[in-house]
Amino acid sequence: MKRSFMRRPSDTELCSVAGRTTCQGWQGWGQSKPLKSRQGWHEQPHGIHKNYSENMTEEIAKPPIIRAIDLVKRYPLPEDKSRSFAAVDGVSFEIHEREIYGILGPNGAGKTTTLEMLEGLNDIDGGAAFVDGIDVAQDPYGVKKIIGVQLQESEYFDKLNLIELLDLFGALYRRDIDAMELLAKVHLTEKAKARPANLSGGQKQRFSIACALVNTPKILFLDEPTTGLDPQAKRRLWELATELNNAGMTIVLTTHNMEEAEFLCGRIAIMDHGKLVAEDTPESLIMRHAPEPPEAPLHGNIEDVFLALTGHALRD
Amino acid sequence: MLSKMQRHLAKDFMRIFLRDRQSIFFSLFFPVVFLSIFAFIRGGGAEPIPLGVVNQSDSAAAARLVEMLREDFAFTVITGAEDELRGQLIAGEQMLVLVLPPDFSDPAAPAASLRLLADTSQFNQLPLVEPMLEQKLMMIERESRGEEAMFSIEIENVQALSQSYLDFLLPGLLGMMLMQLSVAGSGYNVVEFRRKGILKRLFVTPIMPRDFIVAIVAARLGIVLIQLTVLLAFAVFALDARIVGNFAEFYLVAVIASVVFLNIGFCIGSVAKTQQAIMAIGNIVIFPQIVLSGVFYPIDAMPGFAQPLAQVLPLTFVVAALRDIAVAGETLAQVAPSLIGMAVWFVIGFALATRLFVWKEVAA
Repeated sequence: MKRSFMRRPSDTELCSVAGRTTCQGWQGWGQSKPLKSRQGWHEQPHGIHKNYSENMTEEIAKPPIIRAIDLVKRYPLPEDKSRSFAAVDGVSFEIHEREIYGILGPNGAGKTTTLEMLEGLNDIDGGAAFVDGIDVAQDPYGVKKIIGVQLQESEYFDKLNLIELLDLFGALYRRDIDAMELLAKVHLTEKAKARPANLSGGQKQRFSIACALVNTPKILFLDEPTTGLDPQAKRRLWELATELNNAGMTIVLTTHNMEEAEFLCGRIAIMDHGKLVAEDTPESLIMRHAPEPPEAPLHGNIEDVFLALTGHALRD
Repeated sequence: MLSKMQRHLAKDFMRIFLRDRQSIFFSLFFPVVFLSIFAFIRGGGAEPIPLGVVNQSDSAAAARLVEMLREDFAFTVITGAEDELRGQLIAGEQMLVLVLPPDFSDPAAPAASLRLLADTSQFNQLPLVEPMLEQKLMMIERESRGEEAMFSIEIENVQALSQSYLDFLLPGLLGMMLMQLSVAGSGYNVVEFRRKGILKRLFVTPIMPRDFIVAIVAARLGIVLIQLTVLLAFAVFALDARIVGNFAEFYLVAVIASVVFLNIGFCIGSVAKTQQAIMAIGNIVIFPQIVLSGVFYPIDAMPGFAQPLAQVLPLTFVVAALRDIAVAGETLAQVAPSLIGMAVWFVIGFALATRLFVWKEVAA
């Protein structure tokens, strides 16, 4: 079975970050690859796919680095503790090495819970998850050693400065790390002696990523990394994610930002009510789900797709 | 002992606690005030009574009486002329003036009468002082007549150590403060770290709950020992409290006690979901122990029905061990029963702490 999903931004594309905000500047337009989605949208009329590095074909041949099989997470209903609802309800997907995989969905769709199950932070109530061949339910500590995680809201010990915090996280992985080098990677060297409370939103998120990188992880999980950031901070973070991915890191992220999903992700999964409602490359999703006019080769954007799939009703 | 990772974590926790100047200040401020108040309330009665003595006689007996008064710890003696001391008495600078007349102990004269000057409305210890003076005069009388006393009271010093209430109270108070600082120290931190999501962030890494508990207990232990040292130094140097036994053994018991209470604090911190809950549960654990564990008065003095419970509380063992060392000068071997009691509580506390501890966010 041949699958396609990869897109890794080229340098030109990175430049377009500064200039254009839409996807019109992508290269490799019309490069045709047969697409097949697990959701069963087998007809793939346009076969549009953006260019991706040749080495990705090798990655596809390898077993996926992350496999989620029918993941289920149940919580007791707040109004009636004796009954439960499924926050994640039978979610399956596969993520390959060096991929940037995005999970989109309205609030409460189960994105964060799904990530937490993969990260060994939340018990898996049904199904199974394998990360780099490790069964997460069996060996969450083994998984934690090889992944880096940026939580949606991270607080740190407020009495320690950034260097001390990074050293501490290094120690938790039983590693000696070069804290300054990590800070340089996220452009925070001048804040080395600052305390987390004194960082701006963007700096805080970059610091969170630095913390997630202390163990030089194989896979980086980012949970809404740009929520609440100003455009400059947002772009900076995209660049950082792209650099890391170029260096070979697999990245899994959740986001509400459609532009972000389009820009960063090779493939996107859209979740709603605990289920995966669509999964494909951004372009294919747009082709299939964005509303009229259909004659145009590519019209609308991922936000249109998102709204078409999850509806317009307000969520919390 | 501790792994490298646990040491690093403990060192950072120590840093975090030490950088929290405000809470360090208050953690010491209240115990110091508390100790001072108790020392002040209970210490008043033991002050020596200032006594002015006017010796108008040049007899050996008069000199002997003055000497005996000086030797008595109940008085601080000032000698002087009558006019001068009477003036001081009226001015309120003296409480009591004793006048030995010129014919004191003249065998030819009729019985000499001593005068005691005092404002009886101000000085209420006269009933105490009078018999003391009379007893001294009788002794002199006997000596001068060469008589043997018909009766004598021989005091056999059974408890070789004088025990003031402060000496009794100090080990109890220190034990109580160890409990409060430790229970609050670990329990409060755990709830706070969890609420802020710091725990969740820590447990994204492959850290085991055990590592976290060991590190935070080690760090808190360091802090509690510093606090203990300050309080002990204050009690010994400023309040004249006495530690009869071995200081090192006293400290060792304090360390074990802290570990016991830190683990109990962890259990509470794991059960309590919110800051309010930990206050409430903490009080449920702390208050009965303050009342029942013999901090302020011996357990024997308690109503019978409460005693079986009182005997097995962790603080009871801690206070008993600390007090036996500090007041009775016992050795570790002699306080072994209390140490065994503490060990049992340590095992219970640690087992529960590692089992109950949850780093995940807990719905309130």
